[in-house]
Amino acid sequence: GVSRSSMEKNITLDSATRIELSCRLDSRYSHLKHLQVTWKRGNETIRHINKTENSWSIQLRILDNSKLGSYSCTLKGKEEISALFHLQVPKIEGKEKPIISYEGDTAVMVCKSFGYTPIAWTWYMTNGSELIAINDSLLADKYVINRLSANITHLKILKLIKEDDGVYWCEAAFELGKSIGKLKLKVLSLMVPLRPFLAIMAEVVVLVTIVFLYEMYSKKKEKCA
Amino acid sequence: FSSPGGRKEEEPEALAAGKSPGAEAADRGWAWGVVLHFFLVNVLVMGMLKTFGIFFVAFQEEVGGSSERVSWIGSIMSSLRFLGAPLVAVVCRKLGERPTSLIGAGLVGGGCLLSTQATSVPFLCVSMGLLLGLGFACLYQAAAVMTAKRCRTRLAFSNAIARSGMGLTFLIAPFTQLLIDFYGWQGTLLIFGGIMFNLIPSSMLLRPASTQPPQHSSARIQDRGSSVAKEDSEPLGGCLDESTQRESELCSTQDLPTTERLLSHGRDASGLVDTTALERLEKLPPNSCSPEIATEAKRSYKPLPLTEKENSQPLLDFSPLKDPVFCIFTWSFLFSHLAYFVPIFHLVARARTLGISSMEASYLISVAGVTETLSQLLSGWVADKNWTKKYHYHVAYLVLSGITNLLCPLATTFPLLMTYVVAFAVFCGGFMALVLPVLVDLVGVQKLHSYLGFAAFFAGIAAIGGPPLAGWLYDYTQTYVCSFLFAGACALISPISFFFEPSAQKWKLKKANL
Repeated sequence: GVSRSSMEKNITLDSATRIELSCRLDSRYSHLKHLQVTWKRGNETIRHINKTENSWSIQLRILDNSKLGSYSCTLKGKEEISALFHLQVPKIEGKEKPIISYEGDTAVMVCKSFGYTPIAWTWYMTNGSELIAINDSLLADKYVINRLSANITHLKILKLIKEDDGVYWCEAAFELGKSIGKLKLKVLSLMVPLRPFLAIMAEVVVLVTIVFLYEMYSKKKEKCA
Repeated sequence: FSSPGGRKEEEPEALAAGKSPGAEAADRGWAWGVVLHFFLVNVLVMGMLKTFGIFFVAFQEEVGGSSERVSWIGSIMSSLRFLGAPLVAVVCRKLGERPTSLIGAGLVGGGCLLSTQATSVPFLCVSMGLLLGLGFACLYQAAAVMTAKRCRTRLAFSNAIARSGMGLTFLIAPFTQLLIDFYGWQGTLLIFGGIMFNLIPSSMLLRPASTQPPQHSSARIQDRGSSVAKEDSEPLGGCLDESTQRESELCSTQDLPTTERLLSHGRDASGLVDTTALERLEKLPPNSCSPEIATEAKRSYKPLPLTEKENSQPLLDFSPLKDPVFCIFTWSFLFSHLAYFVPIFHLVARARTLGISSMEASYLISVAGVTETLSQLLSGWVADKNWTKKYHYHVAYLVLSGITNLLCPLATTFPLLMTYVVAFAVFCGGFMALVLPVLVDLVGVQKLHSYLGFAAFFAGIAAIGGPPLAGWLYDYTQTYVCSFLFAGACALISPISFFFEPSAQKWKLKKANL
């Protein structure tokens, strides 16, 4: 059979650029003759391949989102070796764990971009299955969007109510496309932690009473003895 | 629970003296109650201190503020626990242990509750750092002194049991994380406040001891006299009044620590002293030293003002600082704390540099924790047998721990490192359990408050300086080996001061007789 070894590489691009992707054959395989190298993007074959002694490369001009994607170079000979290049916009990290906040309180949600500066940030909230953009100038006493630094954005939600509970999205716009991060907000009512607290306080009061009564009892015993 | 050793002997005499065995049992019960409270204090206080790291992350995200500013909260909290001790000692002497402990529990619970409303780092510094730190100091001081007062014969073992609470704190971290995931940091602090309020009923167990009839003590003295080695002098009965004085252990001249108690007699006023001293003169125990008895009798015949003990001592008692015994103890305490904290700090890092995976490294830590707890219990139990003076054990453990630390650089594989960890934990548990009993032996229960307060103050300085010092050592030498050598050196330096203990006692006695 044919052994297929494949390699993958992720390349992050945030702005329009020229890029050269090259596949180089390792000296181990230089004995292979009659090699046919194809560069493809999806099903589309790319024509202009620069060939040097042991490497085949293509030059790309990435100007917009349509040029991003997965590019593959395949060397067909006795064995087929291929490599994949993933050209993508920078990823935005949201938060895995839900952010917990209380009714009437303020919640702060942070979105960070690592290394690359987005052109703009937009926040969305989920209404059913729709994403609705948050306009902080319209609802200035409810939402405050701060761009703390070039790579960090804050969404502050004031005066939380139960309906604010849900999934929020922060979207970073780059020259070459958009990237999205997911955050979850949980709004709890004050009663939720208050119940265990009151249970514990009740237990404390019971214990205090027991100790107090026992002390009175033993004092009485001592006096009688 | 079996009764503390000494009590068994005295029971027949107690009956003869007219004290009901029921009250004896009750006293024993209260003593165990005090140990339970101390145990709870250890669990909750140490647990809170250790889980602060988890809160740190939550605070940083919500309240904002740089990492450095937020870590101030933790530093204030843990350092005030020690640095606040002298102040707390004063409060304790004035109000008594139980009120102080209740205040402490209130401060801690209140601080937690107040922190739920926090919106900025300075607020948290005060509400969490200051209030909790002071509360912890109050709780600790009151519990430690009460344990020393209540558990006379089994002090080391009771202390060890209480300290084993620290071993349970590893459970609190995942619990805290769970709470934060469910309720957020505010809800978690609310619930923690409630849990801390549980210290209120347990503080109520710190019942001030009641006085005992004097005949009891004479019977005690008799049987005490037969055990030369016993350093611990029994109080009048098992229970102590705040203003009761310690009967001195009259025997061999080796028992020089008792001079402190003799000296303290001068200040105390109670008819009890006179009667017991009289009785003692009548029934001279076999190996008593007459000069000591004579001095004591002399003192008790002095016209003593019938004032409360607390009033005769100045409010902030600086006398420990002038006392050579205190210097001896603090020197040892400081270095032994450094020797304890630094290796623990760098153990995991050292394991990693040796190529041990972090899973196995954390396994080392858990083994260390368990071994230390067991070793504390064993050491306390052995020390209570009174085969020799407690500080001899203390010195032995320190020396062995120092040697272990010095040999640590030779441990380069996982089995060797595990051996080191076990040995280190055994010796550290040994000397840690004996710190309070040794202090009690050196200075007596009466002045324990001020001594403990100042000793904790200096320990706090060591605790604050320890980690940065360890870090600096690493930065300077680029290897963790030096931290262990440093810890070994500290552990070996620390018992040196105990060699001066007999001469210090002689010096004090001379000074007092002048």
